[in-house]
Amino acid sequence: MSRFAAACLSLSRRTFLRTLCGAAGIATLGRYGEAALAGSSYPFVQVPAASSGITWVHTAGKSPQKYLPETTGAGCAFLDYDNDGWMDIYLVNSGKCDFYKPNPPLRNALYRNNRDGTFTDVTEKAGVSAGGFGQGVAVGDYDGNGFPDIYVTQYGRSILYHNNGDGTFTDVTEKAGLAAPGWSSSAVWFDYDNDGRLDLFVCQFVEFSKAKNLPCFTYNNKPGYCIPRYYKPTPSWLFHNNGDGTFTDVSKSSGIAQHLGKAWGAVAADFNNDGRMDLFVSNDTAPNFLFMNRGNGRYEEIAALAGVAFSDTGRARSGMGVDAADVNQDGWVDLFVANIDHERYSLYQNNHDETFDDQAETTGIGAATRLMSGWGLKFFDYDNDGNLDLFVVNGNPDDQIQTIEKDVTYREPMLLFHGDGRTLRNVSAESGPLFSRDLSGRGLAIGDFDNDGAVDVLVSVNDAAPLLLRNTAAGGNHWLGIRLVGRKSNRDAVGARVTWQAGDLRRSRMKVGGGSYLSSHDPRMVLGIGNRTRIDWIEVRWPEPGGETERFTAPPIDKYITIVEGQGIQSA
Amino acid sequence: MAQAPGREPAAAQSAAEHVASLAESGRCSEALPALAKEAAPLKDKDLQRRMYLDGARCATLLERWGQLLDFVRALNRRFPDDPDVLYASIHAYSDLSSQAARELAQTAPTSIPALEMDAEVNEMQGRWDRAEQDYQKILQKNPRYPGIHFRLARLLLSKPNPAPDFQEQAKKELQEELEIDPSNAGAEYISGELARQTKDLPAAVEYFTRATKLDPTFGNAYLGLGMSLLAEKDYEAAIAPFETAVKLQPGNPAAHYGLATAYARTGHKEAAEREFALQQQAAQRQNVQEGANSQ
Repeated sequence: MSRFAAACLSLSRRTFLRTLCGAAGIATLGRYGEAALAGSSYPFVQVPAASSGITWVHTAGKSPQKYLPETTGAGCAFLDYDNDGWMDIYLVNSGKCDFYKPNPPLRNALYRNNRDGTFTDVTEKAGVSAGGFGQGVAVGDYDGNGFPDIYVTQYGRSILYHNNGDGTFTDVTEKAGLAAPGWSSSAVWFDYDNDGRLDLFVCQFVEFSKAKNLPCFTYNNKPGYCIPRYYKPTPSWLFHNNGDGTFTDVSKSSGIAQHLGKAWGAVAADFNNDGRMDLFVSNDTAPNFLFMNRGNGRYEEIAALAGVAFSDTGRARSGMGVDAADVNQDGWVDLFVANIDHERYSLYQNNHDETFDDQAETTGIGAATRLMSGWGLKFFDYDNDGNLDLFVVNGNPDDQIQTIEKDVTYREPMLLFHGDGRTLRNVSAESGPLFSRDLSGRGLAIGDFDNDGAVDVLVSVNDAAPLLLRNTAAGGNHWLGIRLVGRKSNRDAVGARVTWQAGDLRRSRMKVGGGSYLSSHDPRMVLGIGNRTRIDWIEVRWPEPGGETERFTAPPIDKYITIVEGQGIQSA
Repeated sequence: MAQAPGREPAAAQSAAEHVASLAESGRCSEALPALAKEAAPLKDKDLQRRMYLDGARCATLLERWGQLLDFVRALNRRFPDDPDVLYASIHAYSDLSSQAARELAQTAPTSIPALEMDAEVNEMQGRWDRAEQDYQKILQKNPRYPGIHFRLARLLLSKPNPAPDFQEQAKKELQEELEIDPSNAGAEYISGELARQTKDLPAAVEYFTRATKLDPTFGNAYLGLGMSLLAEKDYEAAIAPFETAVKLQPGNPAAHYGLATAYARTGHKEAAEREFALQQQAAQRQNVQEGANSQ
């Protein structure tokens, strides 16, 4: 043996690996227009609260005891609650629970879009203030009445708000059977049994209560947030929609509940193209789950065999935000998972055989995220060139982290990756000061709040005001926005696949359920075509039980349309 | 056990107690010559352990390094799992190490070994530039001194805020090392890792293969080879190096994980599940160990 082999062996793998990579509607802009357009050579500009009217601020409820839920929230959503064609905003706050008694009480917020770049707080009128220790939000029209309903996940007991269609909501949690007691985090609406109704998956984090809170200390003996490893894992929930306003807990019969995890993020997509919606769930300090839908209401957990449960060193990472999309346009949905500092994020490329390979290093994602901790994230085409890009929100959960890791910060900048249809490139450094601003980012929702075809971003920040970011990057490129309305298939058309051809450009995209972290998105899809001036056709393959494929030739561009299953383009 | 000739056990015990008292009252010069002699034949294990520990303390105090080593060896042979003994051993070996370093620095301050030692200390303390200077001084003395280019490469890969071309610089150093010492398995291994990270998988396979041939006990090299073959989707070929890696490093979850993946992707589902279970057990042990270390 060479004398230096031993020296090499003494270099820990973690140290070694760490060191290797390092490494349209301008007229409608209204009050926010001036601020938003300033410095618009960058892809996103912040819309200040003074312009948007969104003055609500998240309160973490931080305490000397360092209760873990304080640092993990909260989520946000774009939704069109009043069906006026303009995206409204919902924001989740902390609140009353066994370890926190805020005075005055805290509340969530629903902001109605005034269609001029401003928003009006309608929370009280709508009746969606919640009040528990909120975490996330998932929006879906579970009863198919045409109005989106809101599910708010909380530490303690979650809430289902049924949309009455008149600007108000009713708390129907008890009737629906969706309280999901425990520490709920992300939730996803999707149709797991292809009966045409949206079911609900609710992530559960760990077994936690005020009594179970563990004292953890930093190296300088200050109280700190515990690593989740010290808390017991717990099963997540899957609820079947009975079609009568009630749900049945199928967590056990589906096979979901036999797997104990510490779930933060979830995304529903068809990973093996068999027409059934699978589920990917990220776990923190526990192996991730890939639940493959085998039909008959049964899931098989295959994450380890699929190569998405662990890092390549065989260790469970701290999975947080997730999303799924066909990044490389090979017809198969890929996966993205954000982890904690020194773990790097994962871009799992689908091998078409229920296995995946992590391509984080080849894409530069590994090097860019070496020190980051990622939460909200989403694939979308921010510049409408036809290729999926990726927006990631970061922030370390531990406010003492700088005393432990000298190269890691509590607040961290956001990341932007630009896609070329095959791979992704980190463009954060060239995307303006927004991407060097440090935040305790948590949730991220995408949505085109000004209906200009350029998809905007909403970021929720722990213990701070949210950020509304207007997209200025898509100007000059053409697009088509589509709202899919299922009739046989689920009303929100979750699981639909849309393919479009514009000259030499052919692209395909699945409407996945969920994705990001604690957040919910504009249900519309924006199909970018770059500088091409015509879309030859679009095809919509509706999810089961519809399952039909419909083709629409020469649709209009640069506007939103609604396509109703079996009834064609209904409005333009 | 044999008794000291011509002396009753009670008398031997009494004499030993007296010697121990001398040592414990600080009279090490008087006690040290008798401590080992009186301790060895004792039946009273508690007294014997006490005397060896006293001996180790006195030898340290009087800088009798040879005797210190004898006491520590005796303690570890007779009381192998004793926490006090292990604690004393840590201090003893640390003192011996420091003493040897002082001697090296005093007797041959400009020698290559002295510079190597200085560089190692600088590396451990994060003084990367000073460590690099030490290595360059060695190369000035002997441009073909084995191991120095390897260490320079390792330094380039370890230091924070490296130059943009640090990986290229490291590769160059490693190539120079291999020209000087073609038997340096470590240089082959790190070259393999660099190639693997840049997705030059055929090169990675070549480097790792050479590393395993140079050093058949080099677990990480088998691991790197297996991982490179996995990345090349040559799952069948990855099985053998991973099997060797788990034999060499049964506590390494990465080795079990790689083998499990290779098994899974070649249709050996049962074997894969067995290895996944071993991987999780190994990871759990590492978690426990890290938890203990961080407390």
